[in-house]
Amino acid sequence: MLKLIGAVLILLSGTLAGFHQASRFAARPRQIRELILAMQRLETEISYGFTPLPEAFRKMSDQLGEPLKHIFKSAAGHMASGGGITAQESIQRSLHENWKRTAMKTPERDILHQLSFTLGTSDRQDQIKHIALAAQQLKHEEVVARDEQAKYEKISRSLGLLIGALIVILIF
Amino acid sequence: MLGGGRITNLNWLELFPDRIKSMLLELPPEYLGRVEEVRIREGRPLEVNESGGHRFVTGQGLLTMEKDKAYRPGRDDCRRILDLISNHSLYTLEEELRKGFITVPGGHRIGLAGRTVLSNGRVEHIRDISGFNVRIAREVQGAANDILPFLYDEKERRMKHTLILSPPQHGKTTLLRDLTRQISSGSLGSSPVKHAGMKVGVIDERSEIAGSLHGVPSFDVGPRTDVMDACPKAEGMMMMLRSMSPDVLIVDEIGREEDAEAVTEALHAGISVIASAHGSGPEELHSRPAMQKLMDNRMFEMYVLLQRSSGRTTFRLMDRQLRVLQLRVKGETHHA
Repeated sequence: MLKLIGAVLILLSGTLAGFHQASRFAARPRQIRELILAMQRLETEISYGFTPLPEAFRKMSDQLGEPLKHIFKSAAGHMASGGGITAQESIQRSLHENWKRTAMKTPERDILHQLSFTLGTSDRQDQIKHIALAAQQLKHEEVVARDEQAKYEKISRSLGLLIGALIVILIF
Repeated sequence: MLGGGRITNLNWLELFPDRIKSMLLELPPEYLGRVEEVRIREGRPLEVNESGGHRFVTGQGLLTMEKDKAYRPGRDDCRRILDLISNHSLYTLEEELRKGFITVPGGHRIGLAGRTVLSNGRVEHIRDISGFNVRIAREVQGAANDILPFLYDEKERRMKHTLILSPPQHGKTTLLRDLTRQISSGSLGSSPVKHAGMKVGVIDERSEIAGSLHGVPSFDVGPRTDVMDACPKAEGMMMMLRSMSPDVLIVDEIGREEDAEAVTEALHAGISVIASAHGSGPEELHSRPAMQKLMDNRMFEMYVLLQRSSGRTTFRLMDRQLRVLQLRVKGETHHA
């Protein structure tokens, strides 16, 4: 009886782990898309609104959903803190603090990290170019992420169940 | 004598990144209170200026005259300063970069030097900014106390047309700012006479008098003062004349032909003009064609000459015919 309960538990957790992995594969392209839209918004704020970076970030975070919201919100918070922190440091610090909550991977993080070096430090045209470049790179990552989603989303769901089953069989 | 008034605004230290800020905070407090300029040049000694002259600052925050001992701000320091003074957003300062300075909260002005980018032969932008001159704005309330009574025409109840003359860094702008505040609020400095306060229009081309940020003055410029910020002087004077019906126009550093025309226009419209100009005396001023016309036509009723020696600012007054006025103040005779 006890064995049976154990087997069910193992199967269940295997399945859950598989579903969790699958949902990350599904969430990544969605979050990248959201990030691309955020970049376009930032471009508008800079090119037409002349909005200072902290305020632009705050506006972006208001319109974004979790977990991306936090990346921009805390970066804006760091910039406004008045502790002599540069925009670059604020963004990088925020990425460090909040990246784990997203489903995105290292390439996307590197793109934002790269962008942090130039944000706020040059004239409008230059800023727009860099943001457009980041958006372009993100689009490329989005395609990759969609491919991965198509390939691995279903597999990881069944794989979870299968691994659970394998462990059960091995134990018995 | 100027000074003796209340000095406000010690928030300028926030403009510097932590490393430089901590060095400046090590300076003797009374010296820090007198500092007028902090100059940062990439790879060269950190310099502070006060009226007595310049000093370098060492990494430990000591004053020195030896440039080899001084702290040398690096590329990282300059990058940080630029980031902080631009509110992390250099792209919002295109107009400022064209002019070569930024005004920050508190009315402080930061001059910039670097490599310029040209477009159609005009400066479009400064890049690779490596030199900063932080000019600390001091609001000395009461700076105009001793001068103001001489500028008021009691019979006609208006301010006299006045030209303030001095070399740079001798307190022209501080004086103009306090004149604005007092005329607007109806006080006449050290004189017991009061008036109801006049409508004052300030044309603040370089955002120095009012230190406006987003159009709102950072300094106390009085309750009845309108400020036209970052506006070319001649155009600003005409705009004020047409739209704001001022009693007094205050304008800093006139000198070009069109400025002189606008001043003449204002004088004919019956508006008192209080202006300042670079120059050590009327003779020097007379050599500039635009100003020569104004002086020959005896447009100004009063000339104020500022002079600063060993930290104290003194003034002399001259009338329309450039005669030095002998004045009796507080029981002692002196050249006022």
